[in-house]
Amino acid sequence: MPLKRSLRESVERLSSLQSKYNIFTSINPSPYKTKNKEGKNETLTNYVVSIKDNIVTKDLPTTCGSRILENFRSPFDATVVKLLKQAGVHILGKTNLDEFGMGSGGIHSIKGPVINPLYPQEDKKIMGGSSSGAAASVACDLVDFALGTDTGGSVRLPACYGSVLGFKPSYGRLSRFGVIAYSQSLDTVGILSKEIKVLQKVFNTLDKYDKKDPTSLSVELRELIEKNKKTKNHLKIGIVEEFNHESLPKEFHELYFAFLKKLANLGHKIYPVSIPSVKNSLPIYYTLSPAEAASNLSRYDGIRYGYRDSEIDIKDGILFAPTRSEFGIEVKNRIILGNYNLCSDAFKNNFIKAERLRVDLVDEFDSIFEFPNVLTNFQGNPEGLDILLVPTSSKLPESIKEFGEEETKSPTNSYINDVFTVPMSLAGLPSLSIPLKEKTPIALQIVGQYGDDSTVLDFVESLS
Amino acid sequence: MLRFARCYSLARTKVTRNKSTPFRPEYALKCGLEIHTQLSTRNKLFSQSTNSTTSLVDAPNQHTSFYDIALPGTQPVLNMEAILFAMKLSLALESQVNSVSQFDRKHYFYGDQPQGYQVTQHYRPFAQGGKINLSKELDGIDELSKDIGILQLQIEQDTGKSHYTDTEKDVITLVDLNRSNVPLIELVTKPDFSDIKQVKAFIKKYQNLVRHLHISSGDLETGAMRVDVNLSINEFARVELKNLPNTSSIIDAIKYEYQRQVELITGGETSSLMEPETRGWTGSSTVKLRSKETTIDYRYMPDPELPYINLAPDVISGVKRLIPQLPDDIMRMLMNKPYHLSLKDAKILTYNSNQNDMYNHEALRTYYLDTFCEFSRLVDKDGSAKLPTSWIIHEFLGDLNKLQIPLTNAQEILPPAVFAQFLRLLHVETISPTSGKLLLFHILENFKKSNCQDLSVPNFSKLIKKFGLHAINKVNSQELTEFCNDIIAQHTDDTFKQNLVSGKKKTSLKFLIGQGMRQSQGRIKASEFEKKFKEILNIQW
Repeated sequence: MPLKRSLRESVERLSSLQSKYNIFTSINPSPYKTKNKEGKNETLTNYVVSIKDNIVTKDLPTTCGSRILENFRSPFDATVVKLLKQAGVHILGKTNLDEFGMGSGGIHSIKGPVINPLYPQEDKKIMGGSSSGAAASVACDLVDFALGTDTGGSVRLPACYGSVLGFKPSYGRLSRFGVIAYSQSLDTVGILSKEIKVLQKVFNTLDKYDKKDPTSLSVELRELIEKNKKTKNHLKIGIVEEFNHESLPKEFHELYFAFLKKLANLGHKIYPVSIPSVKNSLPIYYTLSPAEAASNLSRYDGIRYGYRDSEIDIKDGILFAPTRSEFGIEVKNRIILGNYNLCSDAFKNNFIKAERLRVDLVDEFDSIFEFPNVLTNFQGNPEGLDILLVPTSSKLPESIKEFGEEETKSPTNSYINDVFTVPMSLAGLPSLSIPLKEKTPIALQIVGQYGDDSTVLDFVESLS
Repeated sequence: MLRFARCYSLARTKVTRNKSTPFRPEYALKCGLEIHTQLSTRNKLFSQSTNSTTSLVDAPNQHTSFYDIALPGTQPVLNMEAILFAMKLSLALESQVNSVSQFDRKHYFYGDQPQGYQVTQHYRPFAQGGKINLSKELDGIDELSKDIGILQLQIEQDTGKSHYTDTEKDVITLVDLNRSNVPLIELVTKPDFSDIKQVKAFIKKYQNLVRHLHISSGDLETGAMRVDVNLSINEFARVELKNLPNTSSIIDAIKYEYQRQVELITGGETSSLMEPETRGWTGSSTVKLRSKETTIDYRYMPDPELPYINLAPDVISGVKRLIPQLPDDIMRMLMNKPYHLSLKDAKILTYNSNQNDMYNHEALRTYYLDTFCEFSRLVDKDGSAKLPTSWIIHEFLGDLNKLQIPLTNAQEILPPAVFAQFLRLLHVETISPTSGKLLLFHILENFKKSNCQDLSVPNFSKLIKKFGLHAINKVNSQELTEFCNDIIAQHTDDTFKQNLVSGKKKTSLKFLIGQGMRQSQGRIKASEFEKKFKEILNIQW
């Protein structure tokens, strides 16, 4: 195993990188202590990791990059954190993010924006979000891997912008217990690393049923997936017509074709494929996820934990308004949008329709894969594909100034960044974003059928 | 306790009305109930914390888990026991249990609502339809029989509890989350009630049903059962009455609101009855809480992480087999052949009164039925149903209460077969009822003296001999004459005798017989005394 950097080296480099790129919300003052005392079953001994700050930890604060959770410390560890500790890792710190995971730029944090370390000399560029600090910590070689969360692309986009691997597993594979909900029908814990072998190892460590998470993939279905597995040397690979490749940056095409040529040389077969429903993805996503977010964020009233207005709990007859006005602008936008979609008048027209269209999208994805979908009982298309190739981002990282200005013009401008990543979130598919060139923010997602995470990971491993 | 500051105080305007107008047929009452029932599951609905029956008096916020206080990162895990309880209730009410139901979030902010929403079942409730039958025979309503239809049953979370304090300095609400996330069933009836007797009977019957099924304490006083009333008169808009802590406030609030609306209608002031509104009960009057314009939009949303409740048909049929015989069926069984119990006695064996520590109605019913069965075998003919009834429900229970012996203990020395033996002695008149009473009390008293430790089964014949309790069936006529003469001498004078013999005061004979029974300790039958007194005094009538 190549990495396993020395913890001391990371600790030494940390403070200067932190002041340059604003990677962490909190830094572990005693990272050595997290070592597993029992020393048993350690699969990740001495790996150095960072944890996104919307995943709860006992030893470090959990803020979600929000004033609302200022100084909040969870009395328990998230299941994924517990598993990592048992596996023997050192936790370097909690990473910066868009507030509550909402944003694609990495600029909406009470701690300020994360700055992209791929551009040390130029204008400050965005890292991409919301797992911005996670991607930066990997890009800077501070950690062997980072835990992020991905709701509509929040691991894959910053991974692309940091030129690292970013994996969003199938929905329900990794426990969400202790992951602060943004939109739990979509939220997934993701892994970022530079090394596919490290990423696989981490995935295998965390890929466990958790009875505390009601959406955790059951043991029976996990076994069924195992039974369905087939090993293949040559894969049938699809390119989705509906993704508008013309809008992609010039640099993308050259790297993309070179990559396709490499695949063909390896004996893989490449097919065009149509999934008409993907064009509905953004409207579906921005109907469902803000509604769930508005609901999930209702608990932040200041009474039991977190920030609370020091003077009053009620303003103009509105309970908790003084405290809740401390949410950031992007979070507020989504709460308003979400509540609008849930209003009794709009609910039937928007929310229900979006849910129905989401089912259609899942069905269309099913129809093109050979691997069965254990959740929908789809038996698999014998003529179907094994994986899909989808670009990760339609843009290269913008400067923080540019990004902010466009967002001010219209908040929906930044929502368009999610166009390539959201469909897989809606369908719960495993998707691994891989950089097409070292230190270059151009990446491609390798997408598998629901539950078929290993085909995606093994395929990427076979390329390295 | 958690606390937050309010911007309003608790002072309320009070309206008092003492006039009592009776129900008038031209103003037809239409009424439905919404009943919230706390399920007595071991744990809460979506967490492992204890569902304590004493949560109201326990230290505040003691029965809370990370989930109950809505810590970030926590998730709900459904308690299947609540589903089982809900199924039992639905099946007992003949409701249609939906094979698929789902949980939805109902959003509103409040200090005792830690998630900012309540998990309930809005779009697809747990069960629909069903009924409770009320009858003149069993429930004392005016109609011979009336079905109260049920619209639906849904499972939901209870909220925490707010304690309001007004001090000079500030207005503070204290929040106790012990009750937060306790499982509730909300039952909504059709607006089938047309008078107060039916409402009263329904509440009593439903309360007994949940106790009978062992799914709730059903107590209104502790808030384990809470009743809201929907009410309208003639086709005016519906008014919802809330904050009704006990049966009398439910009844009083309906009466008050009926009168208030009738007065508005007769006075021609019906404009306020055109829009639905919610009113609270102050203890003496109803006051407006909110109207349609101020109703909040709850923004119901399917819960994105709780799985659907999928019930296979064999699960439903399996739970059906777990349902015990229902109270109405038990009542009818007890009131018919061969038991012929009165309504009052049947109720003692069927309804949980929650008032007696010495026995519970189920154990007592089993004891009664077993003893009855044993006794029937011994005496081998019908028509002797009265003995087990009066001796178990009245005499035996009375003794247990007097001596403070729990039934479970008394049963150890007087199991049904032994009690049946005792009843046989009475049946064949080996002992008189009076002697029987003495004997039973003696046995139980001795048992109590041994601290309920002496478990030897009583030897009836030995005890009868010891105390000379044998009934005297063949009475020596000479001795009886002397015995009766003594009584006449002691208790009568000439006027008494004259009035008796002439038939002017026939009841005096009963008095003499009574004296005879008492002095012979009931060992001589009343009929023997009657014959003898008539003979001595030469009574011709």
